[in-house]
Amino acid sequence: MGRLLLIGRLALRDLRRRRGEAVLLLLAVLAATTTLTLGLVLRDAAADPYRDTRAATNGPDVVASGPSDRLVGLATAAGVTEHSGPFPVAKAKIQAGGRTSDVQAVGRDADDATVDRPELIDGTWTRAGGVVVEAAFAGALGLHVNDVVVLNGRSFSIAGVAVTAAAPPYPQANCYFPCAIGGGADVPPGLLHNPGLVWLTRADVLGLTDSPTYVVDLKLADPNGTEAFIAAHDHLQMKSWQEILADATDVAKDSQILLLIGAWLLGLLAVASLSVLVGGRMADQTRRVGLLKAAGGTPGTVTAVLLAEYVLVALVAAAGGLAIGSVAAPSLTGASSGLVGSAAPPPLKLSTAAAVTLVALIVAVLATLVPALRAARSSTVDALADAPRRPSRVGWLIRVSARLPVPLLLAVRVAGRRPRRAVLAVVSVAVTVSGVYVALILDGFLTSHPPYGGYDDAQVAALRHVLLVWTVILLGLAAVNAVVITWATVLDNRHASALARALGATPRDTTVALAAAQVLPALAGAVLGIFPGGYGLFAAVIGITGGDSSRATLPSPWQLMAVVVATVVVVAGLTALPARLGARRPVADGLTAPG
Amino acid sequence: MSDDPVLRARGLRKEYGRDEGLVRAVDGVDLDVAAGETVAVMGPSGCGKSTLLHLLGGLDRATGGQVWLTGRRIDNLGERGLARLRRSAVGFVFQSFHLMEELTAVENVELSGLLAGRSPRAARRRAEELLDRVGLADRTRFLPSALSGGQRQRVAVARALANEPALVLADEPTGNLDSAATLDVLQLFDSLHEAGQTLVIVTHDARIAATADRLISMRDGAFVDETRLTGGTTGELGALLRLED
Amino acid sequence: MQQEVVLALLAKEPSHGYQLRARLRDALGPLGDGMNAGQIYVTLTRLEKAGLLAVEPSAAGERADRKVYALTADGQQRVAEWVAETGWPKPDLAEFHLKLIAAASAGLADPIAIVDTQRRELLRRLRDAQRAAMAEPAGSDAALLLEGIVLRLQADIRWLEACEKNWIRRRSAS
Repeated sequence: MGRLLLIGRLALRDLRRRRGEAVLLLLAVLAATTTLTLGLVLRDAAADPYRDTRAATNGPDVVASGPSDRLVGLATAAGVTEHSGPFPVAKAKIQAGGRTSDVQAVGRDADDATVDRPELIDGTWTRAGGVVVEAAFAGALGLHVNDVVVLNGRSFSIAGVAVTAAAPPYPQANCYFPCAIGGGADVPPGLLHNPGLVWLTRADVLGLTDSPTYVVDLKLADPNGTEAFIAAHDHLQMKSWQEILADATDVAKDSQILLLIGAWLLGLLAVASLSVLVGGRMADQTRRVGLLKAAGGTPGTVTAVLLAEYVLVALVAAAGGLAIGSVAAPSLTGASSGLVGSAAPPPLKLSTAAAVTLVALIVAVLATLVPALRAARSSTVDALADAPRRPSRVGWLIRVSARLPVPLLLAVRVAGRRPRRAVLAVVSVAVTVSGVYVALILDGFLTSHPPYGGYDDAQVAALRHVLLVWTVILLGLAAVNAVVITWATVLDNRHASALARALGATPRDTTVALAAAQVLPALAGAVLGIFPGGYGLFAAVIGITGGDSSRATLPSPWQLMAVVVATVVVVAGLTALPARLGARRPVADGLTAPG
Repeated sequence: MSDDPVLRARGLRKEYGRDEGLVRAVDGVDLDVAAGETVAVMGPSGCGKSTLLHLLGGLDRATGGQVWLTGRRIDNLGERGLARLRRSAVGFVFQSFHLMEELTAVENVELSGLLAGRSPRAARRRAEELLDRVGLADRTRFLPSALSGGQRQRVAVARALANEPALVLADEPTGNLDSAATLDVLQLFDSLHEAGQTLVIVTHDARIAATADRLISMRDGAFVDETRLTGGTTGELGALLRLED
Repeated sequence: MQQEVVLALLAKEPSHGYQLRARLRDALGPLGDGMNAGQIYVTLTRLEKAGLLAVEPSAAGERADRKVYALTADGQQRVAEWVAETGWPKPDLAEFHLKLIAAASAGLADPIAIVDTQRRELLRRLRDAQRAAMAEPAGSDAALLLEGIVLRLQADIRWLEACEKNWIRRRSAS
């Protein structure tokens, strides 16, 4: 126990001493954990309110529709415990506030049925001349209680707004009449397009049409046995509550997929950033490692102290990500209005918290295990001598660079001194660019006409919002990564730059060299990020979601060129600034720097 | 030998800090070094001799005074001009060698040539010549970590000579070396002197200082004494021992 | 006890024998503990016989250790010659050390100038020895001996630099 405390104290003290770097580490993991939390919370955000609604309204297990004579026998079918209806359903056109939409009007009088008791969130239930509107539909058309609407030419006043679990919220619908969800302008005539759900009195419904269909709500003895039940009655049109749930969470599911893509990318990027940050810190930590070992610490203790620091950071990042994610999630769950409890922030489930914490720990351990082991195994003498990590020698690079003009000669050699860092730079740029590539495609998808999935403008906006969120986080983390790598490179090369200048290189040579040493890997990363990176990522996304890739418009060559050029310019700028500052100082100062 | 001094300094000053914290690292130094001369500047640590060397070679900027190298004024050059100067007119030898750890001996030496714009083949050839001249022909492909201190310093000397500089500046060249390695470097400097190379050496090691033609003592940033070591008791080796009492 | 040292100690002013002994003890510290108490009187008598010292007239019947000694003109000249002399190697360092102290206290010469002069001389000798050593084949007997001479000279030069630093500090403190 004492050892654990000691390890913990040492770890905390070291983190406090290096506050700036600890913050950077935290940010890197935080980006990944926040996005992951958002994704997981979103998945729960729709499912739980639906379940709540189902419980509150005693939602049906199966909804069956069709001519009334066919539905009659269902009430007494095997496995059915309760039923409501049959209720008449009419198709109509509603005019409200200058907008026209198809609706399906269900006729229910004030007597509460046993199954499916829609819960009023405003106003009262149906009365003669009074219509109750489904909550999401009301929201989409901007309808409120006491507004006047026209149904098939007849005026009605809105009596109330309600939620139900017997049908998914607008713009999804149970198709009691042949209908189409989404598809835009090319909906075949005669089909309802995105019909909304309203309730009228039986009399009013029968007054709207002479050919109503009927719907009955059933509760089964085994709520999970809906598939078997539907199969047993395959001559009837039936929908199970699981299918309704799927429809209800459609947008949320897509948002969740988007967020999970973002979380994956951010996780990869976080591993890359941590590797860079930690790899750099390891050189500074060797002296403390040496002291620990000289004082009798075993390699095991040393590894434990080093890992403890990163585990601490990961735990804080997990907690932070969970907090930020659960607070920010409601802004992305707008599409799940129309369900009970959707106004309250989605609760944080234990499984979500566990998953996010686990991911944070894995990211931290992955990035730091190798350097920590290496530091622990290093010889004590070397560590105490506080020798900075020796630069690597890549023989063929040195030979090839001799033929290049001076700035490129120096650039290639600078990059070759830390091959692992160069690889990490390539990887992090590639991950970022492939994310941007996929984001461009998805954005094009969402803004294409007709809109994907039948979503209305508000829902498309919500999805694009989600896309924007993780794209911004991705770019932000990539920028942090780039800054860290470029600053580390400039600092690492102070001595070598000063020496090159003492031997006759001009300050411009060394500045260009340092910038080029970053730009070349960035360029490689940008190209790889487009192909195979972005390409492969998009294929993976399509594979996972089972989407339709034929509708995807790949980014134009101009857009790709712009991405590559932007990457190069940003990286060059980020390096050139510290490099130029360093190059202005007298050579003698740089020669005394470690290296 | 021409009459113009290879190196000339007048009123050279380097100050740090301000008011009470003002430190005069170099306080009004005048110096003339003729072609082919070896000048040693001796003094205790902290007397400013390394700073002086940096100023003479353009590695640092003087607070005041002027420096001429091969007749050209260098204290008012920009960094680019100084870089060009370092390419062709000055070679440096440092106490801690300052070799690139990841380059072999020959790659370290040829770097000077490459930075000066020589073709890779010409730079490589000259590097091998120079390494042969300093006695390391069999170790050209060794990394610095595989070389002893004395060998590393010899590589550094070869590097300093790569572009045939008018002046070689050495800052405590034997500071990190043991007695035997010091002797190696002494012999090397002696052979450079024989070949007519102009040398300015800054040191607190009497052995290196004794190889100079002129010995200047420095204290608290200023020159306090100057001695010509040639002449005097040369040859009277018997005086070195008291065989009778 | 080097005769010249005793002479130099009298250069400032005439002294009793026991005063001279006390000053020597102070200058040499613990290294002077082994000094024979009577040795200084033997040296004083010898110097008197050589005409470099004179005994000042004193009250009749005084004991030998109460005699007051003073430099003669010859003695002063001998001291001046000794101060300027730069012979080396010395059997031990005490003589040079005392030379500096005596010269400073009697105002005979600037001790820092003495150190500088000696140092210059040693550097010249170092140069000669080094050249000779480099001219000999490596590992020969002569080379070995010369290396020893070089190393000793180097050590002595280092000590002289310490002396210089010390005396500069004393001067700026006073």
